[in-house]
Parts: sequence; C-alpha cells; structure tokens
Amino acid sequence: MKLPLSTLAGLMSAPALAIIAMGLAPLAVVVVWSFWAWDPSTYWIKPELSFAGYAGILEAGRWTVILSTFAKAFLTAAICLLIGFPTAYAVHFLASRRLAVVLLALMTIPFLTSYLIRSFSWRLVLGRTGVINTLLQDAGLTSAPIDWLLFSDFAVIVGLVASYLPFATFPLILAMQRLDPVAIAAARDLGAGFWTVQRTLILPLTISGVFAGFLFVFVMTLGSSTEVQMLGGAGASIVSVMINDVMRVANYPLAFAISTVVLAVVFGLVLLGNRAFGLSRLFEDRS
Amino acid sequence: MMSRDEPFPRFLVWTITLIGFAAIYAPPLYLLAVSFSPALQPGLPSPGEITLKWYAALAGERALLAALWQSVIIAIGTAVAATVLSLLAALAYREMQARRGAWFLIVILPMFVPGVIQGLALSTLLTRAGIKASALTVMAGHLLWAMPFAFIVILTSFAVVRNSYLMAASDLGASRWRQFRDITLPLISPGLISAFIFSFLLSLNEFTRAFYLAGRQNTLPVVLFGKMNSGASPTIYAMSGAIFLVSVLCVGVIAIRALSERR
Amino acid sequence: MTVGNRNIPISSNMQRRDLLKFMGAGAAAITVGGLPRVAFAQDKTVAFWATATLDIGEKWQEFASQAGVTPEFTDNGNDVGPVVARLAAGNANDLFDVGGLQGGAEKELARQGLIIPWDIAKIPNYEGVWQWAKDIPYLKHEGKQFGIPTVVNADSIIYRPDKLGKVDSYGVIFDPKLKGRVAMEDAWINSAVFAAMYLKESENQPIKEPGNLSESELGLVMEFLIKHKKDGQFRTFWNGWEQGVQLVANEEVDAMTGWEPIVYEGRKRGLQVEYAAPVEGYEGWGNNTVLLKGAGDRGTADAAHEFVNGLLAGFYGCELGKARGYLVPTDSNVAYAQAHPSEYAPEEVQKLGDHVKAKFGGKVYWQNCRPDNFQLYEEWWQKLRNA
Repeated sequence: MKLPLSTLAGLMSAPALAIIAMGLAPLAVVVVWSFWAWDPSTYWIKPELSFAGYAGILEAGRWTVILSTFAKAFLTAAICLLIGFPTAYAVHFLASRRLAVVLLALMTIPFLTSYLIRSFSWRLVLGRTGVINTLLQDAGLTSAPIDWLLFSDFAVIVGLVASYLPFATFPLILAMQRLDPVAIAAARDLGAGFWTVQRTLILPLTISGVFAGFLFVFVMTLGSSTEVQMLGGAGASIVSVMINDVMRVANYPLAFAISTVVLAVVFGLVLLGNRAFGLSRLFEDRS
Repeated sequence: MMSRDEPFPRFLVWTITLIGFAAIYAPPLYLLAVSFSPALQPGLPSPGEITLKWYAALAGERALLAALWQSVIIAIGTAVAATVLSLLAALAYREMQARRGAWFLIVILPMFVPGVIQGLALSTLLTRAGIKASALTVMAGHLLWAMPFAFIVILTSFAVVRNSYLMAASDLGASRWRQFRDITLPLISPGLISAFIFSFLLSLNEFTRAFYLAGRQNTLPVVLFGKMNSGASPTIYAMSGAIFLVSVLCVGVIAIRALSERR
Repeated sequence: MTVGNRNIPISSNMQRRDLLKFMGAGAAAITVGGLPRVAFAQDKTVAFWATATLDIGEKWQEFASQAGVTPEFTDNGNDVGPVVARLAAGNANDLFDVGGLQGGAEKELARQGLIIPWDIAKIPNYEGVWQWAKDIPYLKHEGKQFGIPTVVNADSIIYRPDKLGKVDSYGVIFDPKLKGRVAMEDAWINSAVFAAMYLKESENQPIKEPGNLSESELGLVMEFLIKHKKDGQFRTFWNGWEQGVQLVANEEVDAMTGWEPIVYEGRKRGLQVEYAAPVEGYEGWGNNTVLLKGAGDRGTADAAHEFVNGLLAGFYGCELGKARGYLVPTDSNVAYAQAHPSEYAPEEVQKLGDHVKAKFGGKVYWQNCRPDNFQLYEEWWQKLRNA
C-alpha cells in the first residue's frame, strides 16, 4: 500500500488531534474567562473585560507561591534525575535481563497503591514519634525528636521524590536502549574510564530521556497538592492549593488567571528550550 | 554487559539505586505493617498483636471496592486509548518533516494544564453538549492527562528504530505496513509497554480531574480523599496492603520462573 | 444520537467515530463498573451529594426501608469551592438531587438558580426542629427556605489533659510556652473565627462579630495570627479528620482547635483527649441540605422532600450521633431511641442532645463560609501562608 506521505501523516494524527481539540477547546474558554470580571451579584463571572484576575496575582504575595512552586518542581525533578540516572544505568547495564525486568516491575508496584495514603504515611514515618525519630533515639544518636523532619520543606521534597521517582527513571531506561554496546566497548578498549564513558557517550545519547524525565517530574510536581498539604507545615502553599483557595471564595477570574499564567510560563519555557536545544529533534534518529 | 566497570562507580550506582528504592518503598512497606495492627490508629503493630481482621473486613467494604473497580476499569481504558493514540501521534511525528516541532508542542500542551482547570472546563463543555457523566467522561479527562506522557515515552523508544533498518527492508521489498509490523513494532515494544503502564498508573492515581468528571460512582482516589477527611477505618490500609501483596506475589512468581529457567 | 436520555448534536464524522470508539470500548466498562453496586429497591431513588461526615454507609438500607426513598450517597469533598464550581459550571445538577454542604453558600446558589426552595409543607418533621436551628440566618433567602439544617455543632479545642491539665481558654493555642506544640485548621472559616473570639473576649479587642469581621477587624485578627505563625507557634495547619486525629495521637501537638468528633474518635482509638469548654465561647456551624435544581427538572423533588423528612425523623439522627457524635437538631432522635432501645441507648442520645443544647445555650459565634468580606479573608490567609 503506497500512500503519499502527507495523507499518511494526516490519518495518523487525526484521532490524537481530535482528543487534543477536546482538551484545548475548554482551555481556550478558561483563558477567555480569565479576562472577564467577577460578578458580585451572582458570584460567577460576567462577560466584561477586566484584568482584575491578573492583578490579583500581584497581591498578597501570590506570585511568590508561583515562584516557589517552580522552585520545588525544579528541585524535585533534579533530585529524581540524580537518583534516576544511576538507577537506569544499573537496570540497563549492570543487571542481567531477568533481574532488569524484576527491578522494573518492583518500581511500579508501590504506585498501584494510593498516593494519598502513601503521602499520609510519611507523616507517621517522619513525625516526632515516628519510625526515624524512634530509631535515632533508641540508638542513642539523639536525645529528643528532630522537629524539622516533618512539616518542613525537607518533608515535602522527600514526599515529592518518593511520589514521582519512577517517572524519571523509566524514560531514562528507554533512552538507554538506543545505546550501541559496540560503541561503548570500543570506548573502553581505547582506555576510557567509567566517568569518561558517562560524560562523552552515555549522557549525550540519552539526553532525550533526561529531558523527558525532567519534564515529567516537573509537570507532576507543579500539579501536585497532597504532599505539600500533608507534609508542608503551617500554611505551606503550592499553586494547586492556591487555585483551590481562590475558587473557594468564588474568585474564578483569579483562579483562571493563575492557571493561565502557570500554563503560559511552563509552555514558554518549553518553547524556549525548543528554540535553544531543538527539543523535538531530541527524539530523532541521529545515527 | 558492563562487567568492565570499575568497582567503585559500580558500588556508587547500586547504592544510589538502593536509596531510590528505599524512598519509594518506605511508605507502602510501612502501610503494610500498619495493616496488620489491630489498633484503630495507624501505627506499627507490636509483635504479639499481628492480626488479619482488617483484611477480613475488606470483603464488606462495598463502597471502597466499587470505587476500586471503577478506578481499575477507567485506568485500563485510559491506558489502552492513550497508548494507541500516542502511537499514532508518534508515527505521524515520524512521517512529518516540516511541521514536526509544532506537532510535538501541540501534543504535549495538555500536560501543563492544572488538573482543576482541566476538569472543570471539560466538565462544563461536556455538560453543555449534553453528555452524561460516567466512567467514559472520566476516561476522557484522564486521556488528556496521560497522552502527552505516553507520546513522549513512545517517542523516546522510537530512537531505537534506525532509518537504515527501514531503508534496508524497503530495498528488500517490504511494504510500509510490513516494515512497521516486523521492524518498528518489536523495537518499540518496550516503549509501548512503558506507555501503557505510565498511563495506567497516572489514571489510577488521578484525583482532581476525576472529581469534576465522575458520575455518581466516584473513583478510588476521590473516595479515599473523602475518607481521609471524614474518618477512615483501617480497612483502607488493608486494601493498600492487599494490592501490594498481590503485585509482589505476581512479580515473585515471574522472578522465580525466570531464575529457574536459567538453571 | 442519544446517550442516556439526551441528544448529542454530532457535528462531524470524526466526533462520531471517536464517540463510537469510546462507546464500544466503554459499554462493557459501564456495565461492569455498575455490577458491584448493591441493587437497592428501585421505587424512589434520591441522589444525595454531601460531605462525607453526613454519610451513614451501610445503614442507608435501613433508612430506605423506613423512609420509603432510597438514598444514593456520593461524597462531595466538602470543599465549598469545587462544589459550587461543579454546580455552576459542571455536571452536579445533572447527577444529583439533594446537596449537603456547609452553611453560607445558599445565597449565591439561589441567586444563580442552582438550587430551588424547599416546600416546608411537604416536610412535616421540620416542625420538630429546634427553634434556634431554624433561626440560623443563611437558611432563608428572600423569604424562601433554601437550606434545611441537618447537622449543627459547636467547635472549640481538642487537648490532652495529661499534658496540659484542664484547658478553658483559646489562650492555650497562642501560649508561647507551647510553641510548636499546637495546631489550627487550615481554613480561614474556622481559624479566623477562633482567633477573633479569643481577641474579643480575652484581650478585649474591638471586634463586634467574630463570624463576620469588618476590614479593619480582619486585619487585626490576621496580623495576630501571622505574628504567631512567624514565631513558630503552630506545628502545622491540619486538613481533614485523619490528619487531625493523627496529630493528637502521634503527639505532634498537645492542643488544637477542631471538631468534636475528633475527640470521640480519639477516645475510640485509646487516646486521652478532652474537648474544652472555653470561656470565650464556641464556634457554631451547620451542614445543611439544599434542593438542587436538577431534582426539580427531573421530577424527583417530591422524593427529595420525603428524603429530607426522613433525615429529620429520628433514625438518621441516632445513627449519626452514634457513629460520629454529630447531632441532628430535633427531638425526634430521643423519641426514636426510646422506641428502639436495643439499637440506640436513649440516655446516650439524650446526653448528646443536652450537651449540644448546653453549648448553644452559652456563648456561640456562628461560622459562615460567606462573610461579608469573604474574598478579603482569602487574601489575608494567603498572606498568612507566605509569612
């Protein structure tokens, strides 16, 4: 069957496009609504142009919440990559095929249980009478419970990393599959040490996996709220919590404005990255 | 494969891997221990009081099990649809030469939309269109969430498919369909499986979109959220423990079979 | 084509194909998804979308046999924001008949036409509701009854008597000696009222109505809370039942403002906890049932009235009291318990009723999820979060 390329591409993209249109249409509505005014008589919105929604982001320090959310997302994604890369290396290169499959399966099992109770259980592990504090005190290393283990940024990052680690590891493993073992053997024959091989061969060729892993964890952290609410401490905030807070007082234009801003910033970063690194070309065949 | 690695870096790699596993396994293992404690307040059981009573009580938790079932059905549907659609989108990506960048960005755009907004907006649209809320509407919302992930995962695995293979096959007379079936598909199958698993997990654990799009039967995360807010019986830990044990058992069976085959 | 009993305008072949694809794949899903649900009596079903604390679980079956309507309970998450959003723009009116949520939002829901007034004539048991519950201001809008008080209670402080002795003032929450050992709820609805009550009664600050603060009063109260947060007074702010119980059970805090059922639950779990009777008074709140417009459209409004009548009949009140320590404000609970002493001890029900009545007989300041400056509350709470 010889179809011209453009028709083939068209056919393939159609269903996905339909779904995305289903998702983008309401998004467009939300962006439009973010420029409408809040109606004090019905507590809903009225079709009157107003920037009050966006102005609200500059008040009460809301933009600091947006910034700190991005910071958390960045930090979590970086840590997940730092742990995920060696894990992917171990699974792909160091383990036998069978062990690799077992390790992969083991990585998914905890995520079949609810993330809500998993986050909740960190309170029980990190708390004043939790497992860690009890062990430390029993071993005589501390005389009083360590307070900052829980209800702090530390606890939030621990919870986030524990919730999203495999989302960084899996893309890395997949990216490593395109590595040609012959090339690596050749490099070693030429005397390259472990770190040199990593730096010159493995890292550059798996960069698409690095990007994917970073993006996944980044996006999921941006949209998370449970870890911060359960582990963050007095009044800890993140964008999703803020949107909920604002919706609770029926300030829908502000809620939509915050979402639009976050979406615009992230998408802008991706666009910038695309321009700078040619992101979409990361996935191309480079042989 | 890499037995020529120096010992110290290998030790480092395995240590960090272990740390990663410890981080993701600490909660479910702790919860497993908690599920054997007879106390109403979650905590580790002392050795004498290990009990199975919460597991026994699970059978009677109709609402919880109905929600679990609903979540599984939705997750399977989402995973199948997301994998298929993302595969098509990835193939389209491969076919396109000029508009690749734009296509890539369009497909991943839904990923950045906050769940609250996506759920509310989609729910508004569906209501206006007269579509009744059900498992399908939740699936639609989850599809939007999972597809970008599945798309990127499949694209990553596509890198294994070298154009040289496809050109060689075409030289030998293979049609495009046969090239796809015999070369591309086997090479990207790890990617397809990963995409399926990703989408399944993303859907199973998704709360905000499901809240806005669900019908009268809530999904498991929504029900659990309600229970955390209004009083949860320890059967929720038993359910978590049961899921965990069953999965570990499956993996254990596979591992043992694999190991015994080697000998 | 029809889905359910609506017509969907299909404008393109693509949409039709996708929908058919979904239908095919999902038809099995729906049927299978529906299987595990218990088949209740099919005569009259009322879909009740409410806060999970109003749920009585397996006991709805018995309620159904007594009241003649079969309730189908779905949890609405209790958060006013998503609930109102889902009613206004989402699918809640298509799915549910009766809503149960915190008091205060009735006015805007009525104005947007999302809820319709109850016909008191069809709810004979409403007669027996206590007068002060009937008098709660936000239940009526423009002379029509939009909310039926279903649960009322008054909140104060949960504390550990073994660590703190007897507590009788909100000052314990702001006591510097207890730095890092107290908590409040992560909700301005409650916490601002508690702080305002303390400031009004014990520090004689110029505050007229703690449940409805003016701009300057709100500034005063929130600055007070911000100062204490910066000093590290609060271990955390809690969100939800399990979190609250866990804080006390795992000795994270010695005292926190919160709901009374947490004390009952704590005692059930073997903890030594008490509920304070503070000199500054209690914070009163109510969960009310509202009649959704969708019920009127679908013709289930009469069944909904029977359902609410059943809630006030006594069985529901007894069960809720036994399960959570919550009270339906009517004397029919005691009457029911006296008629069925094997199921519910009449003395217990009487005790609970008297306890709540006593609380409301003293100083009580009402909570309202829509005070006059409600958007300003949220702004201040955001400042508190950032402090």
